[in-house]
Amino acid sequence: MVKPTKGLLSIGTIAALGVLAACGTSSTPTSSSGGATGIAGCHGTITVATDLPLTGGDATDGPFPQLAAELAVNQAIAHKLLGGCTLKYVSKDDSTVLKNGHDPAQGAANITALASDATVMGVVGPFNSSVALAEIPVASTNHLAIISPANTNPCLTAVVPVCSDPTININTASLYPGAHTYFRVIASDVQQSEIDAYIAAKVVNATKVYLIDDQEAYGRGLALLFKKYYTTTEGGTIVGQASLPGATSTFATQISLAKSEGAQAIFFGGTTGNGCGLVRRDMGSAGFNVPVLGGDGCEDTKFISDANSGANTSEAEGSYATSAPDVTKLASSATFFSQYAAAYSTKAAPYNDGTKEPYTAYGYDAMNILLQAIHATLVANGGQPLSSPQAFRDAVVAQLRNTSYDGALGHTTFDANGDTTNTGFTLYKVTSGNWVGVNTYAVDTSGKVTVKS
Amino acid sequence: MSEYKGPPAADPGALGVGTSRGGSAMLVAQSGLAPRHGRAGGILGGLGPLVRLLQGWISTYFSLLLLGMMALAIGLTGVQHGVTLMGEQIKNALVLGAIYALVAIGYTMVYGIIELINFAHGDVFTASGFYAFGFASLFHLDSLATGSFGGLILALVIVFPLSMIAAGVTGALIEFVAYRRLRDAPRLAPLITAIGVSFLIEGIMLVVEGPDNVTTHMASWINGEAFSIAGVSVGYTDLFVIGMALVLMFALGAFVRRTRLGKAMRSTAQDRTAALLCGININRTISATFFIGSALAAAAAIIYSINYGVLKWNIGFHLGIIAFTAAVLGGIGNIVGAGVGGFLIGIIYVFGGSLFGGEWSEALIFAVLVLILTFRPVGLFGVEVTTRA
Amino acid sequence: MALLELAHVSKRFGGLLAVSDVSFNLDRGEILSMIGPNGAGKTTAFNCVTGLFPITSGSITLDGEPISGLPPHRITKLGIARTFQNIRLFAFMTAVDNVMVGAHWWMKERVWDGAFRTGRARREERSVEQRALELLDLLGLSRYAGSYAREMPYGLQRRLEIARALATQPRLLLLDEPAAGLNTQEKKELMQLIARLRDEGLTILLIEHDMRLVMEVSHRIVVLDHGEKIAEGSPADVRTNPRVIEAYLGTGASNEMQSA
Repeated sequence: MVKPTKGLLSIGTIAALGVLAACGTSSTPTSSSGGATGIAGCHGTITVATDLPLTGGDATDGPFPQLAAELAVNQAIAHKLLGGCTLKYVSKDDSTVLKNGHDPAQGAANITALASDATVMGVVGPFNSSVALAEIPVASTNHLAIISPANTNPCLTAVVPVCSDPTININTASLYPGAHTYFRVIASDVQQSEIDAYIAAKVVNATKVYLIDDQEAYGRGLALLFKKYYTTTEGGTIVGQASLPGATSTFATQISLAKSEGAQAIFFGGTTGNGCGLVRRDMGSAGFNVPVLGGDGCEDTKFISDANSGANTSEAEGSYATSAPDVTKLASSATFFSQYAAAYSTKAAPYNDGTKEPYTAYGYDAMNILLQAIHATLVANGGQPLSSPQAFRDAVVAQLRNTSYDGALGHTTFDANGDTTNTGFTLYKVTSGNWVGVNTYAVDTSGKVTVKS
Repeated sequence: MSEYKGPPAADPGALGVGTSRGGSAMLVAQSGLAPRHGRAGGILGGLGPLVRLLQGWISTYFSLLLLGMMALAIGLTGVQHGVTLMGEQIKNALVLGAIYALVAIGYTMVYGIIELINFAHGDVFTASGFYAFGFASLFHLDSLATGSFGGLILALVIVFPLSMIAAGVTGALIEFVAYRRLRDAPRLAPLITAIGVSFLIEGIMLVVEGPDNVTTHMASWINGEAFSIAGVSVGYTDLFVIGMALVLMFALGAFVRRTRLGKAMRSTAQDRTAALLCGININRTISATFFIGSALAAAAAIIYSINYGVLKWNIGFHLGIIAFTAAVLGGIGNIVGAGVGGFLIGIIYVFGGSLFGGEWSEALIFAVLVLILTFRPVGLFGVEVTTRA
Repeated sequence: MALLELAHVSKRFGGLLAVSDVSFNLDRGEILSMIGPNGAGKTTAFNCVTGLFPITSGSITLDGEPISGLPPHRITKLGIARTFQNIRLFAFMTAVDNVMVGAHWWMKERVWDGAFRTGRARREERSVEQRALELLDLLGLSRYAGSYAREMPYGLQRRLEIARALATQPRLLLLDEPAAGLNTQEKKELMQLIARLRDEGLTILLIEHDMRLVMEVSHRIVVLDHGEKIAEGSPADVRTNPRVIEAYLGTGASNEMQSA
């Protein structure tokens, strides 16, 4: 039983706390294609939007890609990327007080509202796969392109064995009543869990793993995929499995079981908000010291503070998590991060530093890819918007399929499902109280994991 | 005189346990959430004599059935995974149960005296955890407690009374502001008010403390190392949690049984008018009940904080609902029942999770709640009151 | 001066005037009985005196001090105690605890003392317990000191309620139908008890339907009917008062009164 309707009262206070504020126009010109002469005579208004969780429990995640996307828009405006057309930007928050963070119902409502505006040609978002499940059908019906900077649930785009698991139960085909308008610039959990399974077997050297998930689509999916690849590809054994709600305050029962079964590692499919760090803390009090391995939901500072909140204040040390590649280390991202820092120098910490969150650059590239597609659509139509909004949206989606973009993340193209071909996950390890990148791994279509440069 | 200390003639407890003590810690005369159900609830009524017979049988032996199933679960864990795991899970159950028990007592006391399910109680728990965190930072208790054993004792001696008083004042204030003038209103009015107060407190904590887990650093007060008793790893913190909870519960039991205020609380719960005419100040007694219940929640929150190291603005709601179930299990209004109920809920949570998987822990707890309300609304230790002729 | 004085007391519940302009005095050491048919307003008058119901008009004074408007627990402390028509004991407390609750208000213990069980608290607790046991002894209930109130025989529950009332150290004791449900032997014992309390100087206001008992123990009788006082006087006066007989006509009570 998860908490029913709670916290309605504080809607006002949350809104007051909201970190979102329109930021001033940033200048910072960069060398770019420059305004195409063909579209200088473009007239009309074209709107792009973001839909990300900005408040509540997600206030430490969503604002980064949102600010990055907004930066991309401001740069496009400065460079007159759409020529004479007015480029507008709308930011939507899919958090609610009710959920203390991302709320699928709010996300769907946001997309419905955006789709009803005929000038909206694409949306960057959402952040969470559970929100995507609610948004994709709306976007599909309305021919509206959405590009996620962070959705990793594989069932959003393709049918993989775990999709039919009763706790996940995603019918991929039913998500697209209309056109396939969904894209993502991040690799899915299939690749992540293949890499996680490899790491559990080959880096942690565990032959027995205890599995915990947080009952959410992301966490549960990651855990089941991990189980599949760890037992088949890597030949390991899952000695136990538990599925616990996000409000769980102690994992002592599960830790005792894992210990009794001789687990050599614990894999947590879920987020720190749902207890990833607390698992590590409870292992300390149970005197059970094997590594914790998690996905990108565990790789944040909350994991470290939660894990260290118990009697042992350095319990987090040695924990592993895979996450989006450490884009801060990519040569291609250096310019972006310095532009971000310059544009948002007046923001309160940590929002003034784009490197504080793994998805910042994804938000930037996703918006730029959308803007490039709109630009290409305009150019192909003689520099003018298509007269029918629906035809315009369809044309933008078609341009997105042909994306070949070099941005902060490197080279991005999309496959037939709208998934990026630019895969790769970085393994992080807690060292001296910080997540430190160890290696970046890539997996090819045959499931072979290799260390990327 | 000689008979005075002797046990009462008949046994008010359903199990034959905690009779004299259970009875004298009883804060309520009417029993259970559904006092009008003299017998088992009528859900299955009218389905024939066999069903009624079965229902009556389950109702009569409910306590034994429940305890039997728990014993079976514990035994099964031992058989399946070995005695070591069984022992360790018993320890986990006791630690969890100790906290549920202390919170459950607050629910049961308030229900006993004004028949209100005080939904704000779980949030008073969380708020008092933050009070304790505040006092610890204010007086730099972290370094004191981790310095030496004497320092730890001193820190506890400082933080417990201060937080308990602050929480007690909070609880009494909530009663004064939100519930007092609704005392004679229909039951639904104070109930909804209680939910409103719960939202209010949670909202304030969300704004002040933020949406994430807050590390209180109190977990480092006690040496976190675990030692082994017959293969079962037991930490000093575990001993502290269980020991402290038992001490507090026995202290409360003695307080309610023996002191003037305790007697005033019991008599007010059992017959407010008669208590009034015995010269008892009802308002003050009810305030005191909220004070004591909230103070115990504060103690529970400190223990929680020392054991788990983190607090979050909304943990109290969830924990509170489970603790409330413990209070109903023990027989709402019955202090000893709430204490025992807390530990039983701990056992159900841990062994249910251990045997069937963690996803079943809470489902089992609320299944038990439904069963109690159906078959034995007065709880394990409640007394069925037959309407007097 | 009268110990208790009711002057033009009225109590209205919506459209119903339950007590209408009732006045009477009660002297120290006196036993005054209030009689009347069911619904005459006797118990309502009790509730007004003990502060459970605020009166609509009039005044009630105890020893010259107005008490109407005071909360019930304050009135108890001023020296008025009562029992109830339908017994209201603390069912889940022992007999001795029941009496101790009555005795508690005059203890000096503070919360502080209780919480830490100071020497004073312990001493006072013991003295109160001593006094409670004496009261139980006085009423012949020693045997049941450790029993739960709800497990005691009915007749003894009535007596325990009187013991609890006495524990508050009242100057005035209000007994609401103390003989109801008692057998002949128990009634006889009750009569003896009331006489004994009177002999010790306690003032008693009694509601009772048992006319034999009323006529035997009362100094004076007040008769209520439909909320109004219709007669007041010695048992002999009241017995022959035509208005009283009229009020009771048809109930068979007049015969009973005559024969009593």
